[in-house]
Amino acid sequence: MEITKKTFHLRDWLRRLHGHLTMRQREGLVGFLFLLPWILGFTLLKAIPILVALGFSFTDFKMLEPEKTQFIGLANYINFFKDTLAGSSLFGSIAYFVQAVPIEMVVALALATVFSSPRLRGKTILRTLFFMPSIIPAIALFVIVIGLISPGSGWIERLILDPLNLPPLAGAFGLFPILLAIWTIGPGFLIMLGAMQSVPPEVYEAARVDGAGPINRFFSITIPMISPAIFFSLVINMISSFGGVALLDRGLPFSVSLSPMEAYINTQMFSYSELGYASALAWIMFLVVMLITLAIFRSAKYWVHFPEEEDNVEF
Amino acid sequence: MWNSKLREWRRFFSVSTLTFRLWNFTGTALLNLFILIAVAAYLSPLSYMVATALKTNVQLSDSSAPILPAQAITYAYQGTEYPVYEVPTEEGVKQWALVNPFRKYSEFVDPANPDAGLIHWDGSWRSLVKAYRPAITFQNFVTLWHNLDYPNYLRNSLIVVILSEIGVLCSSIAVAYGFARFRIPGGKWLFFLCIATIMIPDSITLVPSFVIYTRVLDWNGSFLPLIVPQFFGSAIYIFLLRQNFKTIPREMDEAAMLDGAGPLRTLVSVILPQAVPVVVTVALLQFFNMWNEMRMSTLYLSTRQDLWTMPYTAQAFITFGFTAEMLQASALVLMIVPIVILFIAQRFFMQDMVVTGIEK
Repeated sequence: MEITKKTFHLRDWLRRLHGHLTMRQREGLVGFLFLLPWILGFTLLKAIPILVALGFSFTDFKMLEPEKTQFIGLANYINFFKDTLAGSSLFGSIAYFVQAVPIEMVVALALATVFSSPRLRGKTILRTLFFMPSIIPAIALFVIVIGLISPGSGWIERLILDPLNLPPLAGAFGLFPILLAIWTIGPGFLIMLGAMQSVPPEVYEAARVDGAGPINRFFSITIPMISPAIFFSLVINMISSFGGVALLDRGLPFSVSLSPMEAYINTQMFSYSELGYASALAWIMFLVVMLITLAIFRSAKYWVHFPEEEDNVEF
Repeated sequence: MWNSKLREWRRFFSVSTLTFRLWNFTGTALLNLFILIAVAAYLSPLSYMVATALKTNVQLSDSSAPILPAQAITYAYQGTEYPVYEVPTEEGVKQWALVNPFRKYSEFVDPANPDAGLIHWDGSWRSLVKAYRPAITFQNFVTLWHNLDYPNYLRNSLIVVILSEIGVLCSSIAVAYGFARFRIPGGKWLFFLCIATIMIPDSITLVPSFVIYTRVLDWNGSFLPLIVPQFFGSAIYIFLLRQNFKTIPREMDEAAMLDGAGPLRTLVSVILPQAVPVVVTVALLQFFNMWNEMRMSTLYLSTRQDLWTMPYTAQAFITFGFTAEMLQASALVLMIVPIVILFIAQRFFMQDMVVTGIEK
């Protein structure tokens, strides 16, 4: 009796599978293969870590003695409500979002409006100059601010305060977040400028014939027409204010993050090696950010005028 | 936008054409002047950095020295160098070299007329201000170059940037192509999920990924935690690329398919040549992001000084206690690279951010 050795050939199997499929299924399969890197990345780098963090948050996991880890239920979450530092960090994060994002949005919108005027000369070079600070590493920015406010030799003191006989600034380091916000307008500015330039001139012409003034035209034509761009840059600025990476990363390490909650999580993790508590804090922050995101997306239908999606059928 | 209104007024008040033109010109001039002042104010903090990096430490420690880079003037009199001071005299302020400083009076020599010999001047020389002339020095950069292993830091940064560029471009382009061209069951929901992942803050994945990288994979002290995640694509780039791929007419890849090209072939030879600007934009964004990268490097590279990247090094300088001018010079070296790249690629980059930003 002859024993036939059955071997499994992936290549043959795929070929046979391919033969059995309809055109549509084949397309789906090939498309799925193209998506594979992202699906793997999503599972390995996002979904699993988020769930693992949830698991950690119910334990007293410590970096140095992982074998002593015990399930402690909701104790970490209850601790959060007793921990005034954690609470104030969370409020600090929200406060930073509330103060930085409007600065970034308003400055970018004003600049884009000026740039959409046909009277402005040398737009190409000016645009690059206004964008340039948005790619400067955070650490260089930090160094500049240290220099500007250094007592005795800083330029703020020598050029502004001394001639006016004003006392030296107290707590001048607050300049750093403001400068950082003003110097982060680049992407939002470009996105809004692009949207403004794509508004058909006929619309303005028609409004002008109807007797709408420039301010009226700005609020009733420009703003609604570019609202998707405003929305997009709002989302981008929101993510980066909470310490995410969107479009351009300045390279602020977790420990000096301008989002105090992020810095606090970092402290819990590396100074006290309380990984369980850090995970619980991260989950609270995650939920808060998701809540704000949801609110922004929900509000979109009242003020964002999305263009018609012409390709809905394709999916 | 004011023109039509002005035209009406002109008709109304019968203002002459000349006045109208003058008014129009003034408006344009004012707008341009305003934006020039705005850009100067916007970039003014940079001038501090540049000016300080080009100064000597001697100038920085003299509080009466000018703000811009300058050098104290000296004068050689009878074989010895003497410092030059701004001396108030009856004929105005003179720049004289201080030869003999005494408590009550001093003796100067006039560099314009050294043969006149020593000039007696009553008063305390300590109340005088040193004379400076504008001068820049590149000595700070030379010192940095000699004291730090810049070639090594630059090499590390380039390794991280180039490998992550390859990873993120290959994977993001493939995924964007999948989303843009294939009817996948549930593809729309997957795309929504992909966009939603942009919103996830980094801190939520920080703890588990740190444990996995250091304890399970033992990647502490290597570039792997910085580079490997890039090979899974980046959601925001996938979004930008997919939006752009969708604007390329489908007929072109159908024609290629009929000629027998497979999906990969179609992507490389039909889609990519038409999407060069957006691919360049994504590559530049990735370059800026990875050049500035600090989060992963502070977590995983701190123990290995030979693996430090450029920004990590600059951060370490602050704690080394560098003097002000060296600190500014090192930060200037760090940021000059992305700025030069931005100006070189400016046409491409600016144009395409404009195009891709519109759609959402």
